[in-house]
Formats: sequence, C-alpha cells, structure tokens
Amino acid sequence: MRRETQNILLVLLGGALLKISFTGAYLRYVKASHQWLLITAGVVMILLAAVSIVRELRGERDLDEHGHAHSARSAWLLLLPVLAVFLVAPPALGADSVERAAGNRPAPPPEVASTEGDGSALFPALPAGDPIALPLSDFSARAAWDRAHSLDARTAALTGFVVQDGDDTYVARLAISCCAADAFPVKIKLTGRELSNLPDDGWVEVVAKLRPGTATRANEYVPAVTVHSVRSVPEPADPYEH
Amino acid sequence: MTTTEAPPRRRRVTSLEVLCVLLVLALVGQNWIASILDVAAVRTGATVFVAVCAQALPFLVIGVLISGAIAAFVSADMLRRVLPRRVALAVPVAGIAGIALPNCECAAVPVARRLIQQDVPPSVAVTFLLAAPAVNPIVLVATAVAFPGEPKLVLARFLGSMGTAVVMGWLWARFGKMEWFAERAMRRLPEHVDGRSRWAVFFETARQDLVDAGGFLVVGGLTAAVLNVVVPRAWVDTLGTQVVLGIVVMAVLAVVLALCSEADAFVVASLSTMPLLPRLVFLVVGPAIDIKLFVLQAGTLGRRFAVRFAPLTFVVAIGCAVLAGVLVLGGVR
Repeated sequence: MRRETQNILLVLLGGALLKISFTGAYLRYVKASHQWLLITAGVVMILLAAVSIVRELRGERDLDEHGHAHSARSAWLLLLPVLAVFLVAPPALGADSVERAAGNRPAPPPEVASTEGDGSALFPALPAGDPIALPLSDFSARAAWDRAHSLDARTAALTGFVVQDGDDTYVARLAISCCAADAFPVKIKLTGRELSNLPDDGWVEVVAKLRPGTATRANEYVPAVTVHSVRSVPEPADPYEH
Repeated sequence: MTTTEAPPRRRRVTSLEVLCVLLVLALVGQNWIASILDVAAVRTGATVFVAVCAQALPFLVIGVLISGAIAAFVSADMLRRVLPRRVALAVPVAGIAGIALPNCECAAVPVARRLIQQDVPPSVAVTFLLAAPAVNPIVLVATAVAFPGEPKLVLARFLGSMGTAVVMGWLWARFGKMEWFAERAMRRLPEHVDGRSRWAVFFETARQDLVDAGGFLVVGGLTAAVLNVVVPRAWVDTLGTQVVLGIVVMAVLAVVLALCSEADAFVVASLSTMPLLPRLVFLVVGPAIDIKLFVLQAGTLGRRFAVRFAPLTFVVAIGCAVLAGVLVLGGVR
C-alpha cells in the first residue's frame, strides 16, 4: 500500500475517533472518562499523517525508502472501523445483549456475607423523594442484598429500556466498567400490569414499588416490582450505568 | 498494490484508487449495508467491535509514540548500558520496568518489537511484553477496587503476572530462536545523528507502527466481537464450584473475551458464584495472552513466533496463577 493511502486511512480513522468523541456517540462504546483519550488519539493520528504528507510534498523521502516494501496489507482493515463509525454508527447495546445473558449479577458485596451488621454501611440511607430516581444497578443490589430493606415502602423511578422475554416484561440497563465489550445486564421484572405491547429496546421511565423478597438466588437476583405507571422517555446521553 | 519498488512508469491500479472506489461503493451501498446489519446479533457484534477499537486504539497510539521515541532517541548502546549484561538478570529487570509503564497490552506489542530492533535480547523484550500490561499500578488499583474485600487477590495477581513474565523470559532465553521472528521485526533502523532527522525518525516510525499494528488490532477486535456474541457467558455460572474445570474454563474465557486489563477485574468480580482461584487465573491469563493479542503478535512479530509463544504463555500463566493463588490466598477459596 502506498504511503498516501496509509495517510488518508489514518486521517479517516482519526476523524472517526474525533467524530464519536464530539458528537457524544462515544458513550455508546466506552465510558465517559475515555473521551479525552479518544480526542488525543484522533489528533495524534491526524498529526502523524499530516507530518508524513508534508514531508512527502517537500520531497523528503529519505528514511523509509529502504524498508517499506512490506507495508502490511493488513492496513486495509483500518477502513472497517471508519466505515462502521461513519456509515453504520452501531447503536448502544440493548435488549439483545440482555437476552444473551442469564440473570442479574449485581456487583457482589463480599461484606454482606461476612459481616454481622445490617448492611447499612454498604447501602446508605436513601434520600427523600417520591418517587425516588435510582439507577437500576443500585435498585437491584439493594433488592437482593440490603438487610435494612431500604427499598420496602418506597416508590422508585427506574429508567431503562424494555426487554420482552417470553411472557415477561423487564426494564433493563447495561452496566459497563470500561467499554461495551465488558457490559453486563441489570434487569427488573415488571408485574401488576399488562405491558406486552411495549416494544423491545424502547426507553421508558417506570414508577414502581419493589415486591420484597423477589430477588433470590433461584432467579439470579432479578427483583420484581409492582408497576404504577410507565411513560416513554428519550434515550439518555449515556445509555449505560457504571 | 504493495509493490512500492515495482518497475516504475507502468500504469497500474494504485492503492489510492482502490481506496476511492471502496469509499464510493460504501457510500452508495450504505442502505444495503445497514439492512444486513439490522439483525439483532449482528448489531450487538458491531457495537462490541467499535467498542473494542475505540477502547484499544488510544492505547495503541501511546504504544507507537513510545516505540517511535525509543527508535529516535534511545540508541542501542544506551539500552545495553542500562540493562544487566547477563540475560538471567536482565529478564527480571525488564519485568520491573513493566511496572513503570502503564500500558495496555496493545501498546506493549510495538514497544517490544522496537526493543528487539534496538538489539535488546528477545527474552528481555518478551518479559516486558508480558509484564507491562499486567503489573502496572492502574491495573492493580482497578483490581483492588473491583474486589474491595480481598486485598490479597491484588498481591496474588501481581505475583502471578510477574511470575509469568519472568518465567517466559527465562524460557525464551534458553529455548527461543531468532529465526522465529518475522524478518521485518528484526530490521535494524539506521542510526541518525542530527536532531532534525531524529524527529523525522520519530514521526515516521510511530506512523508506520500505527498503520501496521492498527490493522491487526482491527482483526483482533473483530474476532473478539464475534466470540463475545457467540459464547454465552451464562455457562460460566453453571460450573459452580468445580475448581479444575473452573480454572480451565476461565483461562479459555480470558483468551476468548479479550478484555482490556483495566476492566477484566470488574467482569470477573461479577461472577460471584465462582471461587477466587479460577477468577485469579482469568486475571493472570487475560493480559498475557488473548485472541486480539495473538493476532497482533502474529502480525507484528511474526506468525512463527506467535504460534509458539502464545500456547506456552497460556500454560505458564495458568501455572503461575495457580501457584500464586495457593501461596497467597491459601487455597481455592
């Protein structure tokens, strides 16, 4: 492959990284703190290509004449992420990923098993508010592990996307720690109303009450709630929980 | 299209024209491409693919900048003076040097190749390659955060990974052969003296490394995305407490999932039904060898190198992890 082509590929790839970091689309793929890494990487790629193009134009081709007959054909593959970002722009992970995984795996608080206390150190008292807005991961961890039962008798507002699985309807969210490749699902079963008409992957805010004792080892710690109301909401800027 | 030294002045299709045609075709066929991707599983795969690229490319960029800097500003002489002359000693020194360079595994590959080109013994470069992504402070802190109740696991991870790196270095010093490396991995760079051309070397090496390794990273990302969708993580849960099977499955899973070393601790922490030892194996094997790393190594250092190095690393890493686990954690737990 010629150097000119390589440089154009680098500019395109750097541009793709800059595009996702400035449009906010990067939040579908990596966690928020990676934004500056993506911007830096994009700028460096374009800079490396620019230096090479300038030297080419000035006729300085001294260094690499001897070595680059090998120029890897693999470089063509750099086009794949470019096309993926500019033409396809894959959406955030959704219902499909949730269905692939079995149940909830709330970050296991090891202290719960070992300490004698009521777990109140792990689960600080919930702020006032009715309904109270909670991340799904917090809600399901409290439902499964909180011995102080901080969720009982509280109404929660849960934002996530709909997953229809068999006869059951869930509201779900994916939690990531670094990038979407390590996402794991958090889902909460919706009961008490007929919701099978909601489409998969539609974003909703569910106001509901926990049915205490529903998150057990047998159902992989998926809690169930009694639904009061459901309304459609736009997809949040950051589709994942962390 | 790769024959830059072909007889000149014969009209032929250049890669530039191929690129233009590809781009036009992609633009024209955009709707068609989108319709293919409209299957749920493919969409999930595409997202994971872009995610792996977006997450790894910045670290690869850091790697090629370090590689370029070594090529331009660190002479082979300087490296020779810094490293102990005896390889048996130089190997652990390289392992410790890995602590100081917070690197993801993708960044370590171009740096290791650069070290070999600068006359550093391959065994030393190999140790650095394995140590840098696994024992640096960022990874260890991430592990401590993911396992708040288990400080010993952090120590066990450190010892297991360091052990893997040093043992592999010694094995390579004893049994490794230079001819396993691809010819281009060995090619010496001309020494440049004046400051201006040093910067030229820096930019050109970094650019070339990025183009080379970037392509292989994309292959790795593609493979990881496919496996991520195809391999159901659910079957991990059914293993329960079967330790030996658990160790094997977790080691294979570490290779297949190709997670970055900063994130793997969080993933493995969530597999709460599994004892600690198999999870430790996952943490030690993952940064040492995974599917995307294998492709990257085969591309940059040579296929003959990778097919020998990768399986051996896999076995050594499992051994070191089990040993570190038994010593530090005091058993399976």
